[in-house]
Amino acid sequence: MSAHLSEHPTEWTLRRLHAGELPPAEATRARTHAADCQQCAAVLRQAEEAQRQFEAEHPFEPFAANVEKAAEKSRRQEQARSAGRQRWMGPVVALAATVLLVVAVRPLMATAPVSGVRTKGGAVAELRIGGGEGSQRVARTDAAEPLAPGERVRLGYTPDARKYVLALSVDAAGGVTPLYPEAGQSLPVETGAGTHWLPGSLEFTGAGAERVVVVLTDAPVMVEDASAAARQAFEASGRDVAKMPPLDVAGEQTHWMLLKP
Amino acid sequence: MGTSQPVLRVIQGGPTEDRRAFLREQYTKYGGSVLGRCRYLLKDAAKAEDAMHDVFARALTHAGDFRAEASPLTWLMKIATHHCLNQLRSERAGWRGWFAREEAARPEGHGGQESLETRDLVRRLLSKVDLETQAAVIHYHLDGMTLDEVAATLGRSVPTVRKRLERFAELGGEELKVP
Repeated sequence: MSAHLSEHPTEWTLRRLHAGELPPAEATRARTHAADCQQCAAVLRQAEEAQRQFEAEHPFEPFAANVEKAAEKSRRQEQARSAGRQRWMGPVVALAATVLLVVAVRPLMATAPVSGVRTKGGAVAELRIGGGEGSQRVARTDAAEPLAPGERVRLGYTPDARKYVLALSVDAAGGVTPLYPEAGQSLPVETGAGTHWLPGSLEFTGAGAERVVVVLTDAPVMVEDASAAARQAFEASGRDVAKMPPLDVAGEQTHWMLLKP
Repeated sequence: MGTSQPVLRVIQGGPTEDRRAFLREQYTKYGGSVLGRCRYLLKDAAKAEDAMHDVFARALTHAGDFRAEASPLTWLMKIATHHCLNQLRSERAGWRGWFAREEAARPEGHGGQESLETRDLVRRLLSKVDLETQAAVIHYHLDGMTLDEVAATLGRSVPTVRKRLERFAELGGEELKVP
């Protein structure tokens, strides 16, 4: 009916007009019609009134906070579903990863020196950046580390006496992503001397800052608990990912700030 | 380490300001429409607000796809409608509770206007049809979409949508007939 604007535009056309998403010519025709048509003008007034009432009853700040919470909840549910699928597919995917790691990850580790940040105890964690056009490098912990397009990240650790390892990241909006593992409890460390590398490499999309945290502990930590601690730390920083304090979990932790391209 | 991590994981994230700007636009343009749909279907203020947040969270999570939509309003109202209908279906005795709320709200709903009567009639008959027919009915009778628009929104042919609407009309009165 929107094509026959000598007649009334449909209610849907008028609502799209109100939302500002009609093409310019169609918007002009609908607006011109509504200016002389009480019935159509009433539809527009209803839409305006509904929006006005909505804004009066629901201020933007709590609205935005609640939407972010719902998005986070949805992401956690998706991760839990994904973990369920991975448990089912585990042996197949693990085999594929073993084969592919030789090709995709080796270049990132070609000259892996033992370096990184010694936290409170004897454990060491390292974040290595590579895969872009520049040379590989070890990320600093005392300054933000810019990432070039295409660059990827690997995480390594020397556990010393620690028994479990867990890694997560926090983006600029406070979204927490468990990295290793994605769900369940922290992973038992690999034994033996030297740096042990967590499997696979990571690419961070979007723009802005991303904080990566590795936690080495004596006892297993639930991913959900670590993620909750990360969200608390984000809130405690005034929602500034660059100013997050250490997570409230036992053990040693290392933080890096990455600046996505 | 015996895990099943993929070789390359892509970690989604974005700048805060973009997200806030995106949400601000959603809020200003579509907040009233989405909340109205959730309230109409769920008839419970708290549940409707939760549903509204879920709908906008989905838009936020799929912001790239959302921005590419020719009609974001259509996308949002489709998501909101499905979300609420699914919620009603999944809640134990959801429709029974819905009718109880309908009964409680009845005195406010009698404005005597034809459009209000149609909205009430549609509401009372929704539980008698399947989920896809419910969605078609809502987009046609409430949103005022044409058959073409409903068909495009639901990804069905016009004859299929017409057939579903005609079956629905058999349950009600003249005002539900599809011309």
